[in-house]
Amino acid sequence: MATTTATITLSSADLLSDNLSLSSTVNLNKGGTTATGLEQMNYHRAIIPTGTNFDLIEESDALKDNSNYVYIINKNTDVTDYVIISINNEVIGRLYAGDWAFFPWACDLSAAANDSTIELQAFTHECVVEYALFHVGETLVTAADS
Amino acid sequence: MATTTATITLASSDIADNSLSISNIATLTTAGTDTGLTETTGLARVKTSSGSNTILLDHGLAAGVAADVTADKSAKVYIKNINDRGDGTKFVTILLAAVEIGRLYGGDWMFIPWSGGSGKDIEYTASDTTETTLEYCVFYE
Repeated sequence: MATTTATITLSSADLLSDNLSLSSTVNLNKGGTTATGLEQMNYHRAIIPTGTNFDLIEESDALKDNSNYVYIINKNTDVTDYVIISINNEVIGRLYAGDWAFFPWACDLSAAANDSTIELQAFTHECVVEYALFHVGETLVTAADS
Repeated sequence: MATTTATITLASSDIADNSLSISNIATLTTAGTDTGLTETTGLARVKTSSGSNTILLDHGLAAGVAADVTADKSAKVYIKNINDRGDGTKFVTILLAAVEIGRLYGGDWMFIPWSGGSGKDIEYTASDTTETTLEYCVFYE
């Protein structure tokens, strides 16, 4: 078992009349457990060209209906460059240069094929993204020549 | 213009052979600019004892956040399940319209961009009727 923490801090001195300071830390645990940490992760860096919506993290039976956590950041620096994150045909939102997202992903396989695959499309220019998946399992593919 | 930052730190000393330490700061800006977001719902809290699907952020409304968050604008949503983790079997499913994003177990949080637009409600469904408390905040332009 591994111990992985995710911490968010939201802060602003001038958005409100008083300071905004919010911080939260959570251990990334397997679903259905009291405190068993996730033991597997994938961490990637990719250059996403414009013009095509790509599968970024594909759904799989090993991931379904459990605790998986996704982190995505757009590493571009031009403020007009963005990527759109979507699940199936549902657009979640845009990550502009420097923006990041972190969310749980249940990998719901109950509907049509690829219904819960996380997709990404770059706009304005190609975007460098880094993304991580902390997960409960991976569907390994048997080698064709095994 | 306001300056609001969102910092994430992902850390582990034992999920891999070497320590994992990822940290990044995002400054929350309007779409395609370096101008800071100036509006927020503030931190809000909602309780539910229903296992039914419930709208958290409603795009069926005609004013307020619903009117201001559209597909081509910038908005960020923070949601946290502030219940204790308990036995680890209770969670809140977060959905965008009818699409399931993921499950927030007790103590879990999420931070996502939100494109908004017609029908793009953010909804939640608790796994059972145990009283569950969510905190949430939207930053938008």
